Amino acid sequence: MSFDPSLPKDGINVTPTHPLREGLLLVVGVAAVAAGLAAMLAVATDLLVPRVPPRLEARLFSGWFDGAAEAGTGGAREQQLTVLLDRMSAHWLENPYQFSVVVWEESEPNAIALPGGTIAITEGLLERVESENELAFVLGHELGHYHNRDHLRGLGRGVAFSLVLVAVGLSGSGSATQLAAIAGQFTQRGFNRVQESDADRFGLELLAAEYGHTAGATDFFDHLPSDDGLSGYLSTHPLHDQRIHTLRAAARAAGWPLRGKRRALGWPSDSVGAEVREQVPGRGE
Amino acid sequence: MDQNAEVLVQLVIPLALLVLAYFTGTVIERRHYRSIRERERSWSELPVITLRSVPSGWRVVDSGLVSSSVVISVDYFKRFLAGLRMIFGGRVKTYESLLDRARREALLRLKEQAQSGGYQAVINVRVETTRMANARGDSRIAGLEVLAFGTALELREAP
Repeated sequence: MSFDPSLPKDGINVTPTHPLREGLLLVVGVAAVAAGLAAMLAVATDLLVPRVPPRLEARLFSGWFDGAAEAGTGGAREQQLTVLLDRMSAHWLENPYQFSVVVWEESEPNAIALPGGTIAITEGLLERVESENELAFVLGHELGHYHNRDHLRGLGRGVAFSLVLVAVGLSGSGSATQLAAIAGQFTQRGFNRVQESDADRFGLELLAAEYGHTAGATDFFDHLPSDDGLSGYLSTHPLHDQRIHTLRAAARAAGWPLRGKRRALGWPSDSVGAEVREQVPGRGE
Repeated sequence: MDQNAEVLVQLVIPLALLVLAYFTGTVIERRHYRSIRERERSWSELPVITLRSVPSGWRVVDSGLVSSSVVISVDYFKRFLAGLRMIFGGRVKTYESLLDRARREALLRLKEQAQSGGYQAVINVRVETTRMANARGDSRIAGLEVLAFGTALELREAP
């Protein structure tokens, strides 16, 4: 028996596809599927949410945010915020909610509409606002979220999309889960931006009804960190300049004066919040 | 700045790792294939065959067991693409080249083992692949081992 040496052939065991081509196809495929699912769930949630009566919502979520209320710094400032909130919500005639305010010890400026009617406002936001009108617009914006039931939409979408991610995660593929999460977030952000604009519009209406003018509506954006660059593109909210522009155009169209006298904010200096505020700079840096 | 940090962790770092892994992986693979082809040519005269018995006409003086192994790991880029493949199914093309390299490298090492032992041929060659679990013990793998072994023969004259 003779031996004829021969060399192994390339391209039989290895498919000659460029890895980048393969990568592009897969990434686009998974991202498209995840974005499609996220969009479908978002639309389904939007259809369902208006059918949840606010009373049922209040009952469902009563107790959920007791922890949030405990995290509040309490005191005179919360009372003052509640008074302002009541004044603003009085202009929302068919308001079905019982609203309350809590202050959270967070240095990041933020306000959140929690299911059930509790509005959480962070220390960081209170430190930055300079007039009552500015704060009133922030509260009005959050009331707008309740008016449009956005807080439930966000929650419903979050839960629904988490279920999809869990399902993808069950496939055991970490990279697919990661990619699906990113694609889903971007899709949800698109929906969020529309909601924020609608809430702005509602807040503006309440502001005009309360003060007779809309001065202070756009002040808050000047007190936020700039959203140029990468974080702006990824933001859940529309870009600040765009929001300011839209707000001004809406006020002009409705005939609400853009200028007016802003009311000063007088925080009681002996409030509990003042003690907490001293601790804030050390955190988040 | 929380949001920027979030963006960094979620997008930029994995993306940078992917790009880095793609370039290092491509360079390493290209170099390895070049070396494999060169050595396959220079080792082509030493038979490594799967026959279980000594081919007729070969006069055996001595024999012994030879074995060789290669341990390979997947790079981040290949693992990422393979992970996406798991959703749709189909050929995991990025792993094909990896295993092809490992098998060919294992057989080349078997030839080196045989020659350093003074043998001229290896018969009854078997190739096995073993999955290595990672330290965390979850479903991910730390790497693969390709093991080749066979009976090396010392012959009175070259085949």
